[in-house]
Amino acid sequence: MRVLHLLINGDRVTVAAPEHWTLLEVLRYELGLTGSKQGCDKGDCGACTVLVDGKPVLACLTLAALCEERAVTTIEGLLPAHVKSGGSGPDPVQAAFDECGALQCGFCQPGMMLSARALLDRNACPTRTEIQDALAGNLCRCTGYTQIVEAVELAVAKHCGVAPRRPGSARPRGRSRPPPRRA
Amino acid sequence: MSTNEPTGAPLAPNQDPKAQEKPRKTRKIKTTKDVNGVPQEIEIEVEDVDGPRWGERKDLKVLNTELRRVDGPVKVTGRARYTHDVRLPGMVYARLLCCPYPSAEVTIDVQDALKLPGVEAAIVLETKTRFLGQPIAVVAGRTSDHADDALRALKVTYKPLPWAVDRAQALAEGAPNVRKNGNKGKPGQNGDRAEAEAAIAAAPAKLEATYSVPVQHHASLETHGVVIDYRGGEEATVYISTQWTFAAVGQVAELLGLKANQVTAIVEHMGGGFGSKFDLGSEGAVACRVAKELKKPVHLMLRRPDEFVMAGNRSGNRVTYKAGMNADGTLAGLVANAEKFGGLGDGSMARPPYVYSAGKTYSEVVAVYTNTDSNRAMRAPGHPQASFGMEAVLDELAYQLGLDLLEVRKANLKDKVWHRQLERVAKEIGWFEHPHRTKPGPNSGGKELGIGFGISTWGGGGSGGTECDVQLAKDGSVTVSVGTQDLGTGSRTLVTAIVAEEFGLQLGDVVARIGNSRLPSATGSGGSTTTGSLSPAVKDAAWNARNAFAEHLAPILKTEAALVRFAGGKVFSQANPNAAMTWKQACATLRDAGLNAHGKWDKDRAAALMGNGVHGAQAAKVEVDTLTGRVRVLEMVGIQDCGLPINRTAVRSQLNGGMVQSLSYALFEERVIDPVLGLALNANFEDYKLAGPSEIPKMTSIIDDDDQRSATIGMAEPAIVPGHSAIANAVHNACGARVRDLPLTPDKVLAALGRIA
Amino acid sequence: MKSFTLFNPKSLGDAVGALAAPTSSVKVLAGGQDLLTEMKEHLVEPDKLVNLKGVPGLDRIEFTAAGACTIGALVTVGALEEHAGVRERLRVLAEAAGSVGSPQIRSVGTVGGNLCQRPRCWYYRSEHAKCLKKGGDECFSFSGQNKYNAILGGGPSYIVHPSDLAPALVALGATVTLKCSTGERQVALERFFTLPGEGDIRRETVLRDDEVLTHVHVPAPAAGMQSTYVKFRERGSYDFALASVALALWRDGARVKEARVVLGGVAPIPWRAKAAEAALAGAAFEAATFARAADGAVQGAEGFGQNDYKIPLTKGLVQRALQSCG
Repeated sequence: MRVLHLLINGDRVTVAAPEHWTLLEVLRYELGLTGSKQGCDKGDCGACTVLVDGKPVLACLTLAALCEERAVTTIEGLLPAHVKSGGSGPDPVQAAFDECGALQCGFCQPGMMLSARALLDRNACPTRTEIQDALAGNLCRCTGYTQIVEAVELAVAKHCGVAPRRPGSARPRGRSRPPPRRA
Repeated sequence: MSTNEPTGAPLAPNQDPKAQEKPRKTRKIKTTKDVNGVPQEIEIEVEDVDGPRWGERKDLKVLNTELRRVDGPVKVTGRARYTHDVRLPGMVYARLLCCPYPSAEVTIDVQDALKLPGVEAAIVLETKTRFLGQPIAVVAGRTSDHADDALRALKVTYKPLPWAVDRAQALAEGAPNVRKNGNKGKPGQNGDRAEAEAAIAAAPAKLEATYSVPVQHHASLETHGVVIDYRGGEEATVYISTQWTFAAVGQVAELLGLKANQVTAIVEHMGGGFGSKFDLGSEGAVACRVAKELKKPVHLMLRRPDEFVMAGNRSGNRVTYKAGMNADGTLAGLVANAEKFGGLGDGSMARPPYVYSAGKTYSEVVAVYTNTDSNRAMRAPGHPQASFGMEAVLDELAYQLGLDLLEVRKANLKDKVWHRQLERVAKEIGWFEHPHRTKPGPNSGGKELGIGFGISTWGGGGSGGTECDVQLAKDGSVTVSVGTQDLGTGSRTLVTAIVAEEFGLQLGDVVARIGNSRLPSATGSGGSTTTGSLSPAVKDAAWNARNAFAEHLAPILKTEAALVRFAGGKVFSQANPNAAMTWKQACATLRDAGLNAHGKWDKDRAAALMGNGVHGAQAAKVEVDTLTGRVRVLEMVGIQDCGLPINRTAVRSQLNGGMVQSLSYALFEERVIDPVLGLALNANFEDYKLAGPSEIPKMTSIIDDDDQRSATIGMAEPAIVPGHSAIANAVHNACGARVRDLPLTPDKVLAALGRIA
Repeated sequence: MKSFTLFNPKSLGDAVGALAAPTSSVKVLAGGQDLLTEMKEHLVEPDKLVNLKGVPGLDRIEFTAAGACTIGALVTVGALEEHAGVRERLRVLAEAAGSVGSPQIRSVGTVGGNLCQRPRCWYYRSEHAKCLKKGGDECFSFSGQNKYNAILGGGPSYIVHPSDLAPALVALGATVTLKCSTGERQVALERFFTLPGEGDIRRETVLRDDEVLTHVHVPAPAAGMQSTYVKFRERGSYDFALASVALALWRDGARVKEARVVLGGVAPIPWRAKAAEAALAGAAFEAATFARAADGAVQGAEGFGQNDYKIPLTKGLVQRALQSCG
């Protein structure tokens, strides 16, 4: 066992956990933060995605002991962080997911939204391809991703002041960088 | 829910609105109306209905609009509690050990495991197994970690027994008997083989070819599992990731030695099922056993690798078609010999020629058994399997005759709804400008574009067994209660919307209580029957509540009950709309206990509210790199009718989700087992590949609003039926590469292009 | 996961010191994106992990004025992908980095870890298949489900090396620094990887248990380099390569001066396609040359059933890579 001093969603938390526990185990089994989902426990599904120092990471493949002194954001922390930074209500990504019906069973959404949040923090006006690339590590079995991508586009549109793309219409304009080459 | 899915003829959709709607009856009511402050006697015509109706579409304010999910806020904030998330005082975590071999004698020594700190139970479940992944032991520990330690401490010796995990092994001479009576089921035969063969022989174009689809997994993001809250005594609660709240109650009661009225089942939120989660399951039964022994709450969720081998699948199949086509594109005859691969189960296969008319037809369908877990219902059981070969046969024969692929479909579809739908998707995807409408494009060494089509059908009607309460409280709050479950499809929003519509309220004015077996009974969510089963019951309760409230308000509004109207958050008499009360004012006139109404799915009343039989058509556009075999789906267009849509956003989500599942089936998904070692090789999301966000093409999901039936019908299943067929046809159309075996991986595309030496 | 103790050295000396008396139960932890999955699947069960994260100086990318680049082993794949200098001067490496795993893996996975990762072969990853790589006496892929296995350089094991960075770095002529408690050595990356027929069949590299890979050095490319990484993934969202091509090319007008062609996903090591390079050197930059280079790339390639397709696929990718430099 090891006493860990963590910074979770802005709160300093002290928790005793075995050294080999992952961040996901500490979140779900010690801290009751069950919003981060255990979909595969092997880094393949993305349902456990959280932000560590702003970067999207797989909580199931991250040792909790290595997260000391680092800022961890889980799905439970998005709304409070938005409010703390002067916003009202949920994070724009959450609001857009809600508005677009970008979820069915909802099990993949926490990870999906944190991947989206990480993207928008470093690229406020991404293209559709950049959105798809940023979400590429998050699997969803229900929605077919379409409304998820539309939701991120809506959050982008609200932020960047461009009209959101309607289903089946042309993509919105945004700052672009060349995507990795694919065969 | 049986795992042996119906394999009969496709359901015949009936979309004639007249067949469903009774003629409108009206009656006249005498009443008084204030005209310039002077009451005058007038006569008003009102609808004389013998039961609830959805009413005219143009009048609907909530239904048939794009609604936000009522569970959106809890889900986007991570507050939605799934079975996996349940934490109870004193709870232990249980883990299964599943046999890695398809059949084995197993010896397990649990003593070392039991000596470990924090380990509370280690129980042998099975000593001789008959399917790959069969649970053989269970352990439980104070934390998930203790359970993992216990699992590793089990001393297990496997003595593999002869097995059959694939077709070749199952049908080989001297194969071990998978089921008592051998490895083949009783064939189901239909039609006259000789007649069909003769019709094919006389046709100008003929084809004989074998098509196959692999075993597919449901791959719900939340695995199967339960939390059994039993601490001894006379009460138990089961939290369960299920498609039927009520299914587990009786089973849990029996296993714990309780009565059904001592067990409560709770399904607050669940992470997907797609047909795989109908009963307690063997994992649930094991959890009960541990709970009974320990008298402590037990948390048992399957681990992902176990989910892949023991939690069901869509059966694979292999069908040899012989078919003949006439010069006008109509099929002259069809012979189909189908094998279904559902493991220990019977598999599923809709009867050929599926949605098409094929002249003289003969089909023979037989199950081939293997030592793998039984197939379970999976979204439109049997239909995607039947669709794949039939859609391919049509294209292949059309090319022989130089016919337009769209016209060939119409020539073989009697129901004109599909003609209209096909025209629509063809227009959307650019078929009429496409250069390869009658023959495939070239195997050029470059990148080629192709388009393909597919057709779907389903029932989608409901059945009895669902009841519902609607309560109006004195403070104006409204509650709708029914024990149904929300798989993510949006049933929570559906019940809320129906009640809000009835009272002229908004979605947020009504709260839905679902997912608890203490609430009024409901049927399971399978076969797209939820909408047809749930919506008439909820509508009935809402209608009863409305009538009771109208009776109560009539004297207050100085009018007759039949004239009381609820609209825009107000309550008024049709005769005197200006003298309106707010909803809150109206409710404040109720007695302290409020108003409570009950409703149910009644055969006669439901007949006016729900329908059965839906149509769909899909088209896919792909790009094939003929040098590398890479297939990119560029665009998918789907159209689906569903009678009266309750929530258009949810319908679109079902269409998008179904089409992408079929894309995933087309390109990636396949269970792989090494037949010699008997090991599952891709029981994880790395190697069992689901389509991800980067695979998503331009998606156009169209709700077929030409269907004006005033009836609700489920539409989740058909969305998954034809997409993979359309994609495979599009690949053929692009460059002549006919791949007859899914998934369409580059090895097969390159082989079909003749590029493998 | 089996429990272990976590050692957090504050210096490289302490880190390699902890490895000095190596036993198989000590493992070096960098990003952990491969190691933790191996531990969760019980393929390795170390008693102790030596965490490099606290070791200073291993997370930097530095270019010399002349254009040579040193990349610390703990630089994340994502940082490599996004580094402006790498994007500008070592395009093949930036593209390879961008094609690794998922965004989450790239956030955490490191350059060193990517080069030292273990095979993805599903027999190797299956706890119950005791294959050659795990001390057994059979490579099950040979007569088994071999769709993803090697067509070049295989035998007696037929794994493919899963790294995307490795082919790119070999194409760039990189070397690596391997450090132990008594010193360090520089090894050309091309010789860092070992074929199963050459070295210890249970390893893919020459890295010893008492060593840590600390840095990757990329020499300044000769002027005028064009480069690209073309990766064929079955699933575009994230996947290991069915085959990939790292190409570095120097042209002199309409002719190719020199080319390096390194293949990923088709051999147990990043595979230097020397016959392809020879076909390109001095030849006209045109389709016929691309086709000859493609043939050269798969010289000696042999499928054994389900992986036969990798031969035409690799040829196709070599041509696509060359075309993209046009």
